Amino acid sequence: MSAKPEGEIILAVPSKGRLEEQSRKVFADAGLPIERPGGARSYQGKIAGQSYIVVRFLSAGEIARELVRGNLDMGITGTDLIHEASRNGPDKVIVAKALGFGQADVVVAVPDVWLDVSAMSDLSDVAADFSSRHGRWLRVATKYVNLTRRCFAAHGIAEYKIVESLGATEAAPASGAADLIVDITSTGSTLKANGLRVLEDGVILKSEASLVVSRTRNLSERRQALLDRVLGAFRAD
Amino acid sequence: MSTGARQRRNALTALVSGKGMVLANPPTLLPAGDYFDLAGEEFGSRLLLTTGADGKEYCLRPDFTLPIAKAYIAATGDTPAAFSYLGPVFRQRAEGPAEFEQAGLELINQPDPDKALTRVFGFTAQGLALYDVDAPAVRLGSVALFEALLEVADMPPVWRPRLRRRFGSARAMQASLERLASLEGTAKTPADKSRDDLVGDITGQMLESGLSLVESRYPEEIADRFMEKQALAAARVPEQTIALLRAYLEISGPVEQALGEAEELFHANGLSLEKPLAGVKAHAKALAALLPDAGLKFEAGFSPRLHYYTGLVFEIAGQGGDILASGGQYDRLLQSLGAEREIPASGCALWVERLEQEAGL
Repeated sequence: MSAKPEGEIILAVPSKGRLEEQSRKVFADAGLPIERPGGARSYQGKIAGQSYIVVRFLSAGEIARELVRGNLDMGITGTDLIHEASRNGPDKVIVAKALGFGQADVVVAVPDVWLDVSAMSDLSDVAADFSSRHGRWLRVATKYVNLTRRCFAAHGIAEYKIVESLGATEAAPASGAADLIVDITSTGSTLKANGLRVLEDGVILKSEASLVVSRTRNLSERRQALLDRVLGAFRAD
Repeated sequence: MSTGARQRRNALTALVSGKGMVLANPPTLLPAGDYFDLAGEEFGSRLLLTTGADGKEYCLRPDFTLPIAKAYIAATGDTPAAFSYLGPVFRQRAEGPAEFEQAGLELINQPDPDKALTRVFGFTAQGLALYDVDAPAVRLGSVALFEALLEVADMPPVWRPRLRRRFGSARAMQASLERLASLEGTAKTPADKSRDDLVGDITGQMLESGLSLVESRYPEEIADRFMEKQALAAARVPEQTIALLRAYLEISGPVEQALGEAEELFHANGLSLEKPLAGVKAHAKALAALLPDAGLKFEAGFSPRLHYYTGLVFEIAGQGGDILASGGQYDRLLQSLGAEREIPASGCALWVERLEQEAGL
């Protein structure tokens, strides 16, 4: 992401699947239809009549990371990914608009058989007792390292260790890789199928695809004006 | 570095090279697992991590205490040891990673742990003096006193280790006490099943969901805590105990006054904790003799939230409020790291750049 020509702003949208479709739809609804002339194998796009907007197709995770780093002006990504891009990710961006799709909750889930654990306060007791009984910390499988640390700290839980998991996190308790998980879920059915249950106060974040603007990027007056013009198209509806 | 800073650095080098101590030089690159195992995720989040080609996680040395203690155990040490150090440590901060210079002393397995702590104070005072810090603010805490209080306070035994775990975090402790105070107990279905039946049910369900019966929480453990939760109405922590703990943890002030308040509080509750109280007093006196112009404060709730701290803990701040030095007694550290028994240990760490700043260098 080297070229930052004056007078252009860089917009990134998810590069495939439902997220791409829905992202392009919200832009079309705002009167800014995104074209992808090269098709799904091309990662450059444009908006007819708006030559000042450079459109990039990237993965949602990459969009979050580059917004936080200030290599993009704006993009569509999940709020969960902003938190994971860096510990202070949320401070580095502005969520301009929640877009009403890609909704999912980041949750704390324990084996359903833990009859005695219904809330985070139960978990804090279990964590406190765990190491003296088992000789190791309670293990939490997740790819949401920052969100997990923040949530557990807020509930005063210090006696645990994160096991990073990049896929099939819900299988971690059965495979013995971890004791409980923090994961994203939209319907909860995957968790249920794996014998897991979300704690009563275990929703850490309600995530949603959002139009996000970078705060770390240095903007000239002109580019700021261009950015405001795009945002204006979204505020109108 | 300015000439002044260099001169002080040389003097500090002389201090850590002093008689009766071995200058330790542990590697800068260390296995990260040891830190996670010892201190958990919260401390782990402050490490600068890297993954080796072997897939193992390593970190840049975040402190000297752990590698020094590990090396002592590995050398099958059973004799008294004194290690000093001076060098960089690395930590994550909100603004990004940073490198700091630390100097310090570790006293392991000393025959008289009280004398050892006095020696740690002496080293700290000498280090501060090198930077003309003579009237710092000293914060003292006592893990020993809190543990002694927990031991004699009236409560179901399961709560003692849980409250101990929260000691050092005002927020976590407050949340626990609030919960204990408001627990009504969920006694609506008390023991409609026997423990054996409950364990049987849980075992069945665990097998069905493919959970190991031994690798994580045991069926018995879940059943017991379930029953404990149901029985809480009957075996709750008495209000008086909660009030006592709250009142104790609020104590904070000039050492003599604060310890006096603690003594009165214990007395009013019919408790006698003379030995641990006398211990704190003696240590405070020793420190006051070494730093006569310092402001000594005792804060009942002050401690690092780490289970291996045991006796006295201290923190020393300069005019700007920055922590210049900290330390204490951690008799459970070596055993936590694999030693076969509890080995007394104490030590301190000095933040060199902050001392330089304090001295205006």
